[in-house]
Amino acid sequence: MSVLEKVRPEPPVTGQREPRVTDENGRRVRVGELVWRYLLLLAVLALTVGPFLWQLSTSLKGPTEDIYSSPPSFLPARPTLHNYTRVADTIPVWDYGLNSLKVATASVVTNCVGSALAGYALARLRFRGRRATTLVFVLAMLVPVEGIVIAQFTTMRELGLNNTLVGVVLPGAVGAMNVLLMRGAFRSLPYEIEEAAYVDGATVWQRFLRIALPSVKGTLAVVAIFAFMGAWDDFLWPLIVLSDPSKFTLTIGLNYLHGTFANDERLVAAGTVIAVAPLIALFACLQRYFFRGVGEGAVKG
Amino acid sequence: MPMSRRALAAAVVALVLPLSACGSGGDDGGSTDASGKVEGDITFQTWNLRANFKSYFDGLVADFEKKYPGTHVKWIDQPAEGYADKLSADAAAGTLPDVVNVSPDLVAPLAKAGLALDLDKSAGKYRSEYLDGAWAGHQVPGMSGTYAFPWYLNTGPLFYDKALFDKAGLDAAKPPKTYDELFADALQMARKSDGKVATLANVPTIEDFGRYGVTLMNKQGTAFAFNDAKGVELLTRYKELYDAKALDPQALTATPESSGRKFLTGAVAMNPGSALDLDNFKKNAPSLYKNIGITDQITSTGHVNMYVMGVMVNSRTKHTPAAVAFAHFVTDAQNQMSFAKKVAIFPSTAGSLDDPYFTEQDGTDETRVRVAAAKSLKSAVNYTPVLFSEQMKTALRNEVAKALQGKESPKKALDNAVGAADRLLQQD
Amino acid sequence: MATPVRPGRPPQIRIRRQLPLSPWLFAAPGLLVVGAFVLYPFVSTLVNSFTDRRTLLPGHFVGLANFRELLHDDMFWTGLRNSTLYILGVVPALVVLPLLLALLVRKDIPGITFFRSAFYTPVVASIVVVGLIWVWLLDERGLVNSLLESIGIGRIGFLSDQWLLLLSAMAVTVWKGLGYYMIIYLAALANVPRELHEAAAVDGAGPVRRFLSVTVPAVRSTMVLVAALSSVNAFKVFSEVYLMAGPTGGPAGEDTTLVMLVQRTGTGLTGRVGYASALSVVVFVVTVALMLLVLRADRREDA
Repeated sequence: MSVLEKVRPEPPVTGQREPRVTDENGRRVRVGELVWRYLLLLAVLALTVGPFLWQLSTSLKGPTEDIYSSPPSFLPARPTLHNYTRVADTIPVWDYGLNSLKVATASVVTNCVGSALAGYALARLRFRGRRATTLVFVLAMLVPVEGIVIAQFTTMRELGLNNTLVGVVLPGAVGAMNVLLMRGAFRSLPYEIEEAAYVDGATVWQRFLRIALPSVKGTLAVVAIFAFMGAWDDFLWPLIVLSDPSKFTLTIGLNYLHGTFANDERLVAAGTVIAVAPLIALFACLQRYFFRGVGEGAVKG
Repeated sequence: MPMSRRALAAAVVALVLPLSACGSGGDDGGSTDASGKVEGDITFQTWNLRANFKSYFDGLVADFEKKYPGTHVKWIDQPAEGYADKLSADAAAGTLPDVVNVSPDLVAPLAKAGLALDLDKSAGKYRSEYLDGAWAGHQVPGMSGTYAFPWYLNTGPLFYDKALFDKAGLDAAKPPKTYDELFADALQMARKSDGKVATLANVPTIEDFGRYGVTLMNKQGTAFAFNDAKGVELLTRYKELYDAKALDPQALTATPESSGRKFLTGAVAMNPGSALDLDNFKKNAPSLYKNIGITDQITSTGHVNMYVMGVMVNSRTKHTPAAVAFAHFVTDAQNQMSFAKKVAIFPSTAGSLDDPYFTEQDGTDETRVRVAAAKSLKSAVNYTPVLFSEQMKTALRNEVAKALQGKESPKKALDNAVGAADRLLQQD
Repeated sequence: MATPVRPGRPPQIRIRRQLPLSPWLFAAPGLLVVGAFVLYPFVSTLVNSFTDRRTLLPGHFVGLANFRELLHDDMFWTGLRNSTLYILGVVPALVVLPLLLALLVRKDIPGITFFRSAFYTPVVASIVVVGLIWVWLLDERGLVNSLLESIGIGRIGFLSDQWLLLLSAMAVTVWKGLGYYMIIYLAALANVPRELHEAAAVDGAGPVRRFLSVTVPAVRSTMVLVAALSSVNAFKVFSEVYLMAGPTGGPAGEDTTLVMLVQRTGTGLTGRVGYASALSVVVFVVTVALMLLVLRADRREDA
């Protein structure tokens, strides 16, 4: 656990009773400061995570429990998974979850590959039209998506990819934002490393694969998380492009719940928990790489 | 390989040209002749019915395939939200299913774009099987022809909370029967509860104007007319209710779900609904269910409002005979009847409503609601004008809200709404 | 080759051992996807903005008629007002609060990685889920109002008043964005030399003075970046307001934002694709202008 890592081993006994907590530079943090820091952290924690916990609590409340009571009861009196069973009875949650997983995984792969390649070209390779190409990606980032959905669908139809999971993935397969993130990451690498490889006769491809790419793993994790989130969360596009219910993704499936059981907050809550939990789990697993990626300046443009 | 500016421009033009050519209403594929052999693969799309009626539709499809060997029906269902978006994307791209569940306001633009088969021509022989009013439900003003088979109808009573009526000193055994009584009771309810309990939770919609006796459109169907004296009167009375908090203060942002919830939790005393809701009350608000009162929809015209669902045949289908046969099969008397027994809706086929199932009481609330609704359906009207689009609904809703907030006079608000709706109508 | 190079800048030498095509090969997948599914549809939007095209009916060239109509459309001005208000409401909060939060989670005290991750959770959750959660929290009978009532303030109609709705939506945007921008600031703070702070502390500067005279100048260009990103996103706001105020945009449509208007006029079977495209073009032009404005400010900082 990271909590333990940060606690420095106890110094040789010198009689001092200062807390053993230190900051990133190894200096001690005073107790008073520590107390108010934790108080603030807990307050922000309540604000950011509290709403999710409330949703979880609502989803665990049984049909007889009043969910509108005042003052509110934060914990379910008799927790039950009944609402989750009902969600699974109404829609094939597992099939839809699997479809979402396929789409999200594919999107992670295409985004990592596509934006690493393009980002590298924009950051490191010299060619005429590089500025224009960069501008293309910047402009693409600024286009309001809501206005172009039908035109996107027409294109997909012309390609014969409507009503396929490939069609769901393609428009977001290489996000302009991700390309720019990777460009930023490659740009912030010192040039000298690659120069040495260049002198040794390495080709572009070798330089990219063996030297540049391993140094931006963190940013790649950031891109992966963004891609996964984007694909997992998307609603309008899968709805438009898919017709066949067996291919639906989880967000469309959950929309059935909203349409069918709009009056039952417990059920809607269970649905949202199902939608959010995998993302939180994924993030918890990748957060180490993620924060490292951030340290590399991934998000500095 | 730098791309020159001219090459870029050429590429852009090449990309754009095919686009501007598509989306035209050319009459490719499909025939209107439904007399051939019933065979081939067709797709049938419903609207938010999978969650509750999967087994019914699976059975329906199996029966059809058995009756017509050589056919294969693929049933797909779309969620409630975004249905119009889904239809329009499919229609624009030419991927509309062969047989589609529609409502009259959805069928109108599809018919205008030449995408809905004219059933007077292709299936006129079935016409006598349906109630006259229901068959006419999918005709589009300004066009000749009928563009969908009528499917299920729905109407429902007005539910009220007897406990809240008692508390406000109103006679729970005598719910309001006319608009005058309704508005008087609502004002008293608000007064006695200090504005805590509203009687109505929704702002008036186009159907409310219709039921109040307002003329919605001119006779030719070329312009809207709900800004007449009668319309202004209704809106003025709603404004009184709103000011007195007899119309829920949150009505301006209410959705059917949110107002249903308010009724469940006793914040609102009356709510329109259908037999479907009784089950919901029983499950989610047992204490309300004990006090539930049921009364007829209030109307000044003698005709209650009904909603009509239809089944449309795509004019571009490759298997016209099979598509027409299936659309008819879904909506024939027998299948509508068995669907009606599964869920609280009503068949649109002639004579079905005289079935004992819709006429005989058995003492339960469900049956009472069903029998009363079936009776009222015989004279019910679908007040929603077929040409009243989503954008027009929004315009009306927003103008009504302005009037209720006192930002505009009721007259001015309705004038604006009619003006906006007429402008949108003329662009069609 | 001996020329010292600054990190992040191409060296003065030209790397010759690369095929002339390879940069294009590298960029091809990205360019193809972005070109086919973002730029091409957008170009067609641009073309449509000069037509009266409807969802199912082909359009005719109408010149600038759509843009002229915009000027007389009350809803357009409402949308423009709300989208602009959104920038004013959200951007200052998203520039300042995440910076304070970054300072709070910066020190490596026990459990800090947990807090950092937890603060990022709202960013991870989908906006639809976030919308559902907050609608449920701010409901007249939801948690927030239950709490307000039990401490004697009484219930507040967060979701029924025009301005409270807009404010609530802004609060959700800020809530969801806090973690995201916190991360950006954390990265920037890592580059602030520690000595600066220490020197200031030795000079006897208090925490507030140190914040204003050391931290802020050091992360100034990051603040500009955050301002740019958040203002572009604020101007294009759709989901938060759509989910909280409803598809018609709150009471009398007064909470409609520009992108909501694009969606409302352009979609559905009766959508006015031409007019909605003209609206999209306006949104696009304003966002590009915003971006340029902020980037110019940034360049001046650099110089």
